[in-house]
Amino acid sequence: MRLIPVICLVLLCTPARPDELPDWSGVWQRMEGNAGMFDVSTTVPPDGRAGSPGVRQHPPLTDEWETKYRANLDLVAKDRLPDPISRCGTPAGFPRMLALPDVYEFIVRPEQTWVITENGPNILRIYTDGRKHPSPPDLWLTFTGDSVGRWNGQVLEFTTVAMIGEVQTVLDRSGLTLSDQAIVATKMYLIGGGLLRAELVIEDPLALTEPWHVTRHFRRMPPGTKAYDYACAENNRNPITGTGQTLTLDTDGHVIDKVIENE
Amino acid sequence: MNRTVSLGLLLLFLTPVVVAHHSFAMFDSDRVVETEATVVEFQWTNPHVWIEIMVADDTGTANQWSIEGGGKNTLFRSGWRPNMFEPGDVISIRYHPMHDGSHAGGFIGARFPDGSTIGRWDE
Repeated sequence: MRLIPVICLVLLCTPARPDELPDWSGVWQRMEGNAGMFDVSTTVPPDGRAGSPGVRQHPPLTDEWETKYRANLDLVAKDRLPDPISRCGTPAGFPRMLALPDVYEFIVRPEQTWVITENGPNILRIYTDGRKHPSPPDLWLTFTGDSVGRWNGQVLEFTTVAMIGEVQTVLDRSGLTLSDQAIVATKMYLIGGGLLRAELVIEDPLALTEPWHVTRHFRRMPPGTKAYDYACAENNRNPITGTGQTLTLDTDGHVIDKVIENE
Repeated sequence: MNRTVSLGLLLLFLTPVVVAHHSFAMFDSDRVVETEATVVEFQWTNPHVWIEIMVADDTGTANQWSIEGGGKNTLFRSGWRPNMFEPGDVISIRYHPMHDGSHAGGFIGARFPDGSTIGRWDE
């Protein structure tokens, strides 16, 4: 019986050496487009853009969550889906942060990997120092959740729990949501050609009938490419009303729109 | 004066030009307006850049319009620069107008007096 913790100590719980880790340096950009549709492989129509009427994806949703998704799709059709990140106040969260525009940085250390998105910004902290997910009361719901994992050769494997879910996040502008019971198992590794692959298996006892497999890719940008400060509130001239209408302001902060829906 | 580009030409521009932090459904992506304009101000900001321009209407009265582009970080990496629109510059500009006729639009492309262009112009 003592063998199991010994194996854990030797094989799983010891951080990798720096020279064993892959080179994920530089600046990266998402490959899958579609204006941020999270699961491009099931998007209909295939070239549909998130936020466009009639564009959706097909995760294995439970009846209850399919109903929620259709309600949000109806809001999209009326241009009234209140995307939380449009308010410039909260992060996109995980796993949506793997489908954002602008660029990414992946900072790899034996004990921890940071995924930093320029857009947002968002920071995903993945601990690979042997720790486990904390238990309540040391664990609470956050936008990016809690991620722990390990290096399996050149593959970063981690699980993410305690994401805030449908209350304050969507997976993309089509309005897809998950519950706060979701667990995401992710593998990230280089596949050659300057590409980094992220394979996600998402389980959610409330929202999904079976594990949902999503794959996303990132392309390394030319050497010297920089990431920049992104302050969403710097000059946000598009406030969102209580009914989800996106307004446009002039340079003095006055509403330009001729038609403003009553809230 | 504003003029609406013919349907055949505008089909080249139907795809939204910017990746936005918000919905761009307020802009009519089925219409493209091309006009001469005088730059009032260029706001090199996130989450979007804004080109403030003066445009003469059909009566010759000049009105200020706000043309919204993408975020400055991604635009910089695609060739935009903070000083590329200077106050007083007379440019040609194409944009998707607002559905409700408000004085704003979604940027498509611009041509400068020296003939150089930015955005989608020669498509």
